[in-house]
Amino acid sequence: MRPHIPDNDDLDEEIRGHLAVSIKERIDRGEDPASARLAALKEFGNVTLTRDAMRAVWSPRWLDMAEALWQDIRVALRSLMRAKGLVATVVVTLALGIGANAAIFSVVREVLLRPLVNRDEDRLVYIRQSVPAVGADNLTFSVPEIDEFKSRTRTIAAFGDFSTIDFTMIGLGLDPRVVKAGVVGGSFFDVMGLRPVLGRLLTATDDGPKAAGAAVLTYRFWTTALNSDPTVIGKTIRLGTRTATVVGVLEPSVPYPAATEIIANVVTSPHHLGATMVTNRAHRMTELFGRLAPGTSLEGARAELTTVHAAMVRAHPEAYSVKGNVQLTVTKLRDQIAAPARTILLVLLAAAAVVFIIACSNVANLILARSVRREGELAVRAALGAGSGALRRTLLAESVLLCGAGAVLGVILAQPLIALVSRYAARFSVRALDVNVDTTVVWVGAGLAMAAAVLLAYVPRLPSPHAPAGLGLASGAVRITPGTNRRLRIFATTQIAFSFVLLAGAGMLLATLVTLQTARTGFNLRQVLAVDVPTPSLGLADAKAINFYQEVVRRVGGMPGVDGVAVGSFTPWRDAGSFGSGFQFSVEGYRPADGEEYPRGRMRMVSPGFFAVLGVPMIAGRDFTEADRVGNELVSIVSQSVAQRLFPNGDAVNRHLMWTDPVFLIYGQPVPRRIVGVVADVEDENVVPGSALTIYQPVRQMGVAGRLFVHAAGDPYALVPAITRVIRNISAEQPVERAATLEDVRAEVLSPERVNAFVFSGFAGIALLIAVVGVAGVLAFSVSTRTREFGIRLAVGSAPRHLMTRVLSEGVVIAAIGIAAGAAGGFALARVATRFFATVQLPGALPIVGAAVVLIGAAGAASLLPAARASRVDVMRALRAE
Amino acid sequence: MARQDRERLDLLQGTLDMLILRTLQWGPGHGHGIGQAIRAQSDDLLKVETGSLYPALHRLEKHGWLKSEWGVSEANQRARYYRLTAAGRAQLSRERDRWSQLVDAIGRIMNPAPARKE
Repeated sequence: MRPHIPDNDDLDEEIRGHLAVSIKERIDRGEDPASARLAALKEFGNVTLTRDAMRAVWSPRWLDMAEALWQDIRVALRSLMRAKGLVATVVVTLALGIGANAAIFSVVREVLLRPLVNRDEDRLVYIRQSVPAVGADNLTFSVPEIDEFKSRTRTIAAFGDFSTIDFTMIGLGLDPRVVKAGVVGGSFFDVMGLRPVLGRLLTATDDGPKAAGAAVLTYRFWTTALNSDPTVIGKTIRLGTRTATVVGVLEPSVPYPAATEIIANVVTSPHHLGATMVTNRAHRMTELFGRLAPGTSLEGARAELTTVHAAMVRAHPEAYSVKGNVQLTVTKLRDQIAAPARTILLVLLAAAAVVFIIACSNVANLILARSVRREGELAVRAALGAGSGALRRTLLAESVLLCGAGAVLGVILAQPLIALVSRYAARFSVRALDVNVDTTVVWVGAGLAMAAAVLLAYVPRLPSPHAPAGLGLASGAVRITPGTNRRLRIFATTQIAFSFVLLAGAGMLLATLVTLQTARTGFNLRQVLAVDVPTPSLGLADAKAINFYQEVVRRVGGMPGVDGVAVGSFTPWRDAGSFGSGFQFSVEGYRPADGEEYPRGRMRMVSPGFFAVLGVPMIAGRDFTEADRVGNELVSIVSQSVAQRLFPNGDAVNRHLMWTDPVFLIYGQPVPRRIVGVVADVEDENVVPGSALTIYQPVRQMGVAGRLFVHAAGDPYALVPAITRVIRNISAEQPVERAATLEDVRAEVLSPERVNAFVFSGFAGIALLIAVVGVAGVLAFSVSTRTREFGIRLAVGSAPRHLMTRVLSEGVVIAAIGIAAGAAGGFALARVATRFFATVQLPGALPIVGAAVVLIGAAGAASLLPAARASRVDVMRALRAE
Repeated sequence: MARQDRERLDLLQGTLDMLILRTLQWGPGHGHGIGQAIRAQSDDLLKVETGSLYPALHRLEKHGWLKSEWGVSEANQRARYYRLTAAGRAQLSRERDRWSQLVDAIGRIMNPAPARKE
């Protein structure tokens, strides 16, 4: 049975009872009531203390401690209110460190750590075929290959296939538009483990050429373009030449491999039903997913799939690259999706951690300086009997307050940062778009603040109870010990070292960006407008498409303000990757040596005038003309690199070349094409300048175009409405999209580099700022504690200028040591990093020297103020100070 | 009082609980009575400060060795009376054993001659 816990009234009454008995005894012994009462009270002692001791018996221990801590926090609050400048500096510094970490960790958690929404996402694998040797990192699969996997593997319970295709979509009350669509087999959604939010998804009954056209809308498309309209189910849409019924809306999920707007069954795409697609082993355009069979591991599936694949390659040598080793990779889907973002996010996390370290060491500096100033106060408290535990608790209460405030501000700061970082990370992984501000931020902030608080509470030295405290007590003056001074300097040096690493890294990224931005592209960037004018792909050399583009060129060319117009198949940089890694070709008189492969070249379709409009100079021969059309002689124009590599004698013009890539076997045996011209090299795939083998063919012989290039006399964007009108006059349902100058296209493609440089410069800037505050703080403190020394120096004849130089040089020495340490540490770090990341670049000399110069300059500037103060010390006051 | 204090012995640490339990063996009592009893039993050599006595009483009650209830004292006022419980009796015998072992051990050290048994 638990005893009844007495309340305060019970305790008071018990004490009153005691006193009453005590008084009565005394009165019984003959004392008079008044003095008996006094004596009884005197004998009892301190009533309040006794009562508190009685109550403490019943109250839990933690309550006492909490009460003591609360007391400490109130004291700390009062003492901090007297040092507002310090508080502001500490809180803002910590908030920057905590905010950056909380934001980046939130994104890391969402992108790298959180499971996908797919059912049993742990069993979901992604299969990829690649030829690293020729730079083809994703060959995708052909239907015969997938069929073979299906019939010959046991470790994968079911395969799902997905290919991307562009449809011109009409319906749902939207403008005619080109939508990116996924075309999937009936098993796809079941394998992916996804659910509908509305209607149903595609199943096995939607498979095959006889099923009715059916399409599922992606959640993003449904919510953004259709305002989550629930009546959309059952409506019919036109996709190119076919129609489909909208049967459902997919739940929000990570779109992989491509963010599409609709996902349709095979019957909607004539291409997927064609003989080429179904029977040609080299006609690859399908991505492959699998669900692990029960009881099998990823490793087991990988082993079996690799074996099956190797047998496949041996059995059909004609369908696989000879030179490059065709590889098969099997990864968990989650890892596959996260992979591109992993490195960049981990680097960001490291940068944020460095900022946190710098922030902590700076705050430690300030706190240490402050604690030295209050050594007198601590000594008095120790002398009055405060144990070292109680003193620590006081310091802890202060640092908890400071760090708590820093964490609150940091979490507030993290919210906009998360939006910024996730938009940035979305370039690498679509998952980053779903990052929300959640409690993670708060937990990370609180955790970091706690770590900092404990660290900070243990930085200052406590007055030793054994050391003679008399002097400190008596004078109340600051006596800085060599140990404290050294610690301050170590913290400042640490900050400089870490800032240096960040600055050098940011410098490297900036240098890369500047190189890319100033690189010569070979194009006229400013005046050329590129517009997407896609037509449905209706097969090779489709007369209707050719006539359409002829008409577009004729009418747009007649508009005022247009200097030149051409069509082509490829907008530089924006269409990068859409034609794979090039096709094999061969030229007259060139035989590859044994084991050598035919060279791979980029294929571009262009109309007459293309080179003039884009500003690419002709080097030899002629441009395409209106006569280069279907029925006439097949012709090509090659880039200078093709001419130089394959025709070393400089006689490329009038020789012949032919496409030998197995992909083209569907169009029949290779036919020779006469080279009529040579143009300068341009790099239209990558932003990094280079020279790639490129072969141009006339639009009028191939039919494929889709991109309009207009050379404007004035402002290119002013032409956009008129161009759209003119084209819609030719074909009312024609999409006219994404008009932009080549300059802006390039800027858009370069923006990841720009944001990279921006984000890192931001970190480096914060670090630099904190480090400068740190160095200035250390020197200011050092000067203020050495007033007496400076006074004596001045008294014995030192020139003020001399003192100033001394202090300045101290700052520069701290910076120099920090830079040396940072350089050594950074180099070691890069060595370690190379083991984990494939591409780690050491910055060139310029960023390193630049970072060092900036830091030395900043440290010098930070030392100026304390140095000036040192030189203006009042000799008499300084000497009388003690 | 200061003069009297000088003649008194300081209570040995940890013995107060045992003395309280022992005192209550004769029957229930209130705080003042317990203090007076210890003083009287020790021929005025031991004096228990109220600042120690009352927290000790409450501690013993919390352990379940004592039970308390309100009663009316000789001063005609409500007072809290403490009574030994069965657990308290067991605790007393444990403490008594420990105490005699301690005295025995200290005795052997201070007086190495043939051991003096209590």
